[in-house]
Amino acid sequence: MTARKSGSRLETEIERCRSECQWDKIPELVRQLSAKLISNDDLGELLQGECKLQTYLKENPIKQGASPRGPRPKLVEVRKHLTAALDRGNLKADYLQETSLLMAKLCYVEGEYRDALGHYNRVNLDDMQLVGAPVYRLSMIAEAYATKGLCLEKVPAASPSLSNKNTGSPASNRSTTDREQEIITCYEKSGDIALLYLQEAEKALSAGIQNRSPKPGPTAQDQELGYFLETGLQRAHVIHFKNGNLTHGVGRFREILRAVETRTTQNLRMTIARQLAEILLRGMCEQSYWSPLEDPPTVSPLDDPTRQGHTHSKNYSLSRRPRVYSGENLFCPQENTEEALLLLLISESMANRDAVLSRIPEHNNDRIISLQSASVVYDLLTIALGRRGQYEMLSECLERAMKFAFEEFHLWYQLALSLMAAGKSARAVKVLKECIRLKPDDPTIPLLAVKLCIGPLHWLDEGECFGKIVIDMGEKAAEFRAKGYLAIGLVYSLKATDASLRSTQEDYQRKALGAFQRAQSLSPTDHLAAFYLALQLAVSRQIPEALGYVRQALQLQGDDVHSLHLLALLLSAQKHYHDGLNIIEMALSEYPENFNLLYTKVKLESMCRGPEEALLTCKHMLQIWKSFYNLTNPSDSGRGSSLLDRAIADRRQLNAMTLPDFSDPETGSVHATSIAASRVEQALSEVASSLQSSAPKHGPLHPWMTLAQIWLHAAEVYISMSKPAEASACTQEAANLFPTSHNVLYMRGQIAELRGNIDEAKRWYEEALSINPTHVKTMQRLGLILHQLQRYSLSEKVLRDAVQVNSTAHDVWNSLGEVLQAQGNAAAATECFLTALELEASSPILPFTIIPRAL
Amino acid sequence: MLAMDQGVVEEWLSEFKTLPDSAVSNYAASLKDKGALVPALYKVIRENYSDLLEPVCHQLFEFYRSGEPQLQRFTLQFLPELLWSLLSVSAARDPHTSGCIEALLLGIYNLEIVDKDGQSKVLSFTVPSLSKPSVYHEPSTIGSLALTEGALANHGLSRVVYSGPHLQRETFTAQNRFEVLTFLLLCYNAALSYMTSTSLQSLCQLSSRVCICGYPRQQIRRYKGISTRLTVTSEFLVQLITGIHYALCNGEVELGSKALDDVLYRAQLELFPEALLVGNAIKSSLHGAALKSNNKEGARSIQVEITPTSSRISRNAVTSLSIRGHRWKRHDAVDLGSPDELMDISEVDEGVWPGGVGPDMTPPTITISNSVTTLNLGAKAMKKCRLGGRTSKDKEAGPLTTGRAASENTELSVKRLTLTSSQSVPKAGALTSLTRTASAVFSRSFEQVASGNAPPSSNHNASEAGRYSCSLQEEGLGYLSPTPNHTQRSPSISVHLGSDL
Repeated sequence: MTARKSGSRLETEIERCRSECQWDKIPELVRQLSAKLISNDDLGELLQGECKLQTYLKENPIKQGASPRGPRPKLVEVRKHLTAALDRGNLKADYLQETSLLMAKLCYVEGEYRDALGHYNRVNLDDMQLVGAPVYRLSMIAEAYATKGLCLEKVPAASPSLSNKNTGSPASNRSTTDREQEIITCYEKSGDIALLYLQEAEKALSAGIQNRSPKPGPTAQDQELGYFLETGLQRAHVIHFKNGNLTHGVGRFREILRAVETRTTQNLRMTIARQLAEILLRGMCEQSYWSPLEDPPTVSPLDDPTRQGHTHSKNYSLSRRPRVYSGENLFCPQENTEEALLLLLISESMANRDAVLSRIPEHNNDRIISLQSASVVYDLLTIALGRRGQYEMLSECLERAMKFAFEEFHLWYQLALSLMAAGKSARAVKVLKECIRLKPDDPTIPLLAVKLCIGPLHWLDEGECFGKIVIDMGEKAAEFRAKGYLAIGLVYSLKATDASLRSTQEDYQRKALGAFQRAQSLSPTDHLAAFYLALQLAVSRQIPEALGYVRQALQLQGDDVHSLHLLALLLSAQKHYHDGLNIIEMALSEYPENFNLLYTKVKLESMCRGPEEALLTCKHMLQIWKSFYNLTNPSDSGRGSSLLDRAIADRRQLNAMTLPDFSDPETGSVHATSIAASRVEQALSEVASSLQSSAPKHGPLHPWMTLAQIWLHAAEVYISMSKPAEASACTQEAANLFPTSHNVLYMRGQIAELRGNIDEAKRWYEEALSINPTHVKTMQRLGLILHQLQRYSLSEKVLRDAVQVNSTAHDVWNSLGEVLQAQGNAAAATECFLTALELEASSPILPFTIIPRAL
Repeated sequence: MLAMDQGVVEEWLSEFKTLPDSAVSNYAASLKDKGALVPALYKVIRENYSDLLEPVCHQLFEFYRSGEPQLQRFTLQFLPELLWSLLSVSAARDPHTSGCIEALLLGIYNLEIVDKDGQSKVLSFTVPSLSKPSVYHEPSTIGSLALTEGALANHGLSRVVYSGPHLQRETFTAQNRFEVLTFLLLCYNAALSYMTSTSLQSLCQLSSRVCICGYPRQQIRRYKGISTRLTVTSEFLVQLITGIHYALCNGEVELGSKALDDVLYRAQLELFPEALLVGNAIKSSLHGAALKSNNKEGARSIQVEITPTSSRISRNAVTSLSIRGHRWKRHDAVDLGSPDELMDISEVDEGVWPGGVGPDMTPPTITISNSVTTLNLGAKAMKKCRLGGRTSKDKEAGPLTTGRAASENTELSVKRLTLTSSQSVPKAGALTSLTRTASAVFSRSFEQVASGNAPPSSNHNASEAGRYSCSLQEEGLGYLSPTPNHTQRSPSISVHLGSDL
């Protein structure tokens, strides 16, 4: 009884060792086994043969893709053991089959492919039981199918003689097709059973670890698959792709990926997931895609049409299949980008886990491998997400790549670009700095940084540094040199606008002009250089020169909106209002939705055609605004990075639903009553005021700011018509959106003035100035009121400040002259009046600086 | 234009008109057998002044309007050529405008931006998330996902709009031109697999020309067409790149890589981050892949080899995975004096590192690569060692002062450590379920808000929409608290968003 028990324990132990490929333990176990029972001798032969064969293969692994080896090995001992086991025929049927399979494998290793096939035909692999089979046998069966496939590939089809292989007769063609089909089926079966084996082996292992004593045995770590299982798992899809049969290759990939992963298949899954993603991105499109749970299309443009005859259909079934991911609400991709993304996210998580962190020289190779496999995944992620415009998510993904990025230019640069595309400008500039350090010769990188500094960030000092980097490259920067001068010119130009001291202003203006001139001479075909030169000349009131360059810019780029706008403003500065209006209307025919042009149009219209026309334009603007932003989906621009972003975006959407009816401005307006909402608006309003005080920034303004501006323009027109009630209603609309905008307060002051409430007006102006102390128009009105109140010296102070801020505001000079005159300072007053007169002669209808300056 | 070509085109023009509706699909299938037709049509489009251009454009539009996919693709294959024709004419400020090409393109655009019921079409897709089970994975096996704010915000599957809704357009203006053309390219890219190699070549040519005309590179490419610069947008370039990528991988290696270079050149000059990003990625991902040119008829250069399945990374290298399991000791704050001595503190097994934190500890063994070396630490370092050992009970984790070479790694790992240490108390499963609850709570409250305010007719003011708060704390704790033995605080995250703060 005890003997039997120990015997069965021995058998279990043997089975376990075979499943876990612990061949070194087999000889000892065989010794114990033969001590137990005589009839076990044959089993002993089988085990010894197997053990020796496997040990041989472990020591001399067959390499994938290795050329046929020279001298074929002779494994005499193995053959002796196996022959002994077979010949005596005392074994149970199961063991007999196993011996045959081992024999066939031996034949393959020895290069006797035909003999191997003979053995497989005798055993009939399809009859072998998968249900209830011990784990090691699953592996044997899987290997057997793979080996059979390998042998079939080696042995020429149909007839053993090679002569009729290339005859091309239909019959032989037919048989090649059949043969190919048979080979593929062998590999696919092998792959399926291999996956099943790996799943079962892992299950057994984890069960074993729980049951066994603390002694953990040899760390049952990553089992290696070995040549045969690797081939079985992968050869089928390799053949599909080689034959140009993409549909089946993709199908096979998906089958492997849907099987529940095991530790051993992790690397395989990572590779296959990446490869499938590559195929989805490189070789498929939305229309040729089918989802993983659908049947593939019968005719697909993906398959090589010249090999149409080779269609292969899956025509086998197995009694047991590997477990696949299942459950309710499984996400199944419905589109090629979705599937590619899912696969890439899975690969990314694995690649990330394998990131080699140590930097010692011994691990150099490991580091390169882990970097390479990760950067392929990140590149593909970039392609997929870039196609869909999801830069926000992309920047988050690439941020995870940073653990690989030490001194890796490509990863840093891609992160910087993604941050830039996602609108995270400040971080982008920081990362770009690192990129400049890694690749100091590339002029594009500092230029990108300047673009951000000039645009959304308004970091002019930083921008100047980056611009200088490009200029210092000199000839090396080639075509980018002109761009460098353009960039630095823009920085100076913006600095000039921001400067509060007249001398600094003039200094920067001079520098800006110089830089633009340099850019223009370096790149005479660049319309931007000519245009910015014209703009800078216009700002310094050299109107005729500016006209010359703007014409040049328009010759280079006839439909450039900013050049056209500048031309109109220049004409208005020469008091050719009708010509200016014509230009604006022409420009509007090409850019009907450009609000900047429309603002100018309103001004020019009230000048040339009377306020009624201008009001019509205001109404038109409101209509455009509605059709434009009602359509735009906030999620268009990508997902917000933070929860707050999302909240704002959603609030915006909800607001858009309850928009007022614009044709009737008195009713149904947006009521922002809640405190929090007004807080958000406060923040936005601050953004707005800072925007307006410096310079209109590049890119579309916040839709709400545009709306508020439209209302304010309408209010201005009503004021010019002396209609305080209507003006007040319009201002109220703007105030609902941005209650603390200085522009709104300024407008309220003007309305109060119109109504004759000087004190109220003064209060409004003072509030406006407390928000934006450098708002010249408010200062001028306040100065006038103070003058009316006969507080001359205070009025003079305010107006002098205003002149400091903007020395080209002719009405301020005029008011200053009046104040000085009232104080009896006639000489100074005369000078002021003269300056005002001179400036007025070159003053445009709206300041030139409303034209955005950006790279 | 040869008379023969003209004959082919004229025949094509007449036969479709007489076709009964029932025969359309057969006719569509037969089109690809007309070998001379497609080249003849290309000629008509290229020669702007041909009398045939107008009827051809009209017929191509009829094809598109028929709704028959094969006919639509027949029209689409000419899209790159039509785009170039339009752009070159508008750039040359040719008084002879190609009105019929404009009409055809606008017609296709206006058909494509609406769905069957005439509603504005919105193209959207689902952003997959690893925290949701899919046909390819199970969240628990992915390992602990970083519970960052970003991850939470994107938690679950979100549907994202990538194109649309678009406005109907009656004419091309400078403002809408590229918006329309970008959308048309999007439609073209959706049918890339069905496009002929001639069409792909034409796309590559279009890309090159649009990007280099008027720039110094035009001389290098020896292109002698128009020489005025064409304005482009970044989105338009991204769509071009998508098409070029397909062409590159499907036989058009030479033209494709030239076109990609030209687009990148222009993107650099224009400082377009989006186009640079995608273009660089394609270039770098193809760098390793050997691209075979069109050697076999129609052979696609998608190739797959058998790859070894075992990890190619040696086991003793410190990876993000291995470092996660590593327990950092306080006393490893060793100042090694000169940074040259320290190459790296590789992952140390618990057995190797002195386990007991006693005052009589032996000098720490530091494994450098595979060999175990006992470093003779300077006296100063030893002192610090002891100090570190004694203060190890302090809650405050002192900054690791390691050599410069390793500081980056350790810094990284320390950060990781702080993340994982709290997570290691509840089991991995509990953590993912926390994430799951978190998302559920988040999305639930989110939906409530959304549905509550959805009716646009009601005079809701925005404030209600802004006021929602999502608190993971209560729910999360409820999930984790049943185990009495964990003393450490379970990770709790509370996000409050709203007007009532």
